[in-house]
Amino acid sequence: MAITLDLMPTEISNQGSRDAGELVRVDREKESVEQRRKRFEADALQYMNQLYSAALRYTKNPADAQDLVQDTYAKAYVSFHQFEPGTNLKAWLYRILTTTFINTYRKDQRRPQLSDQELEDWQIADASSHTSDQGKSAEDVVLENLPDSDIKRALAEIPEEFRIAVYLADVEGFSYKEIAEIVGVPTGTVMSRLHRGRKQLREKLTDYARELGYVKGGKK
Amino acid sequence: MSIPCDKCCENLVLFIDNEIDDSATFNEIAFHLQDCQGCRGEMESQRAALNLIQSLLTRSCCESAPSSLQEQIALRLAQLANQEMLTSSQGEIITQYRRTEITIDGQTSIEIETSHEIRRDFPF
Repeated sequence: MAITLDLMPTEISNQGSRDAGELVRVDREKESVEQRRKRFEADALQYMNQLYSAALRYTKNPADAQDLVQDTYAKAYVSFHQFEPGTNLKAWLYRILTTTFINTYRKDQRRPQLSDQELEDWQIADASSHTSDQGKSAEDVVLENLPDSDIKRALAEIPEEFRIAVYLADVEGFSYKEIAEIVGVPTGTVMSRLHRGRKQLREKLTDYARELGYVKGGKK
Repeated sequence: MSIPCDKCCENLVLFIDNEIDDSATFNEIAFHLQDCQGCRGEMESQRAALNLIQSLLTRSCCESAPSSLQEQIALRLAQLANQEMLTSSQGEIITQYRRTEITIDGQTSIEIETSHEIRRDFPF
């Protein structure tokens, strides 16, 4: 018969937190179901729009994206007692979102995965000293004028692993290490995917601009 | 002594992404960029290209969750919380049986009493 009179606070931690300035003290042992639910709603639901937007990129359609976000929140709620208060909640939610997507929503699971042999070529690719032209190119101006639908289309067309890495880094601003934890791959793999993803994205955007007649000729 | 250009270029992506943890390497690159106009130009152009991609992506990928999704999530969380409440408030159910057998003049009567006690965790 357990009457818990645990006087030790279970977690006092702000380790790994990027935005929490103060110590967060939550006694998860004594917290009632209702209190935990309130805490979850206050802390986790604020990321719903961001998670939905990410889910749209992952699944590429609104119905699946809604299911994915809903499942993510359900899973997060059920294991919320395991989340250490004061650590990075946003990254934790993204990890659930991403793993849930990879495990359940991915349609093309039979497709061969990218190998880690890709690892080194990103360095080689750009290591050849300075060659690109400097300053804001005409091409940049043109890309800025592409409609949002083209940007999303370009992102949707690059391979899934690249797309996820680019999204997490360039929209959500996660560090390589955070992305590695969210996706469950080594940091080197993140670097490689990110680099190649950005490159392909840029190429696609330039192609669209060319199709629209914004960019003339074959320059770069 | 400044590092060679190719070592600098190798690390430019990491430098731009602010991913160089090792302060010695970071300083080497920062110093090299100060001294070498070519590498600095390269860095600036790569950084501008990346900033552009990032701003295009951020501008385009900012959908709001539809209200139907918000409602579904609220409902799902309420259901989960209810389930949880139900499980935790049930606590431990202790059932006791008492069987009394009385025999008088060859006649036997049997009485069976059942009682349930619910023991809950504190606080509940």
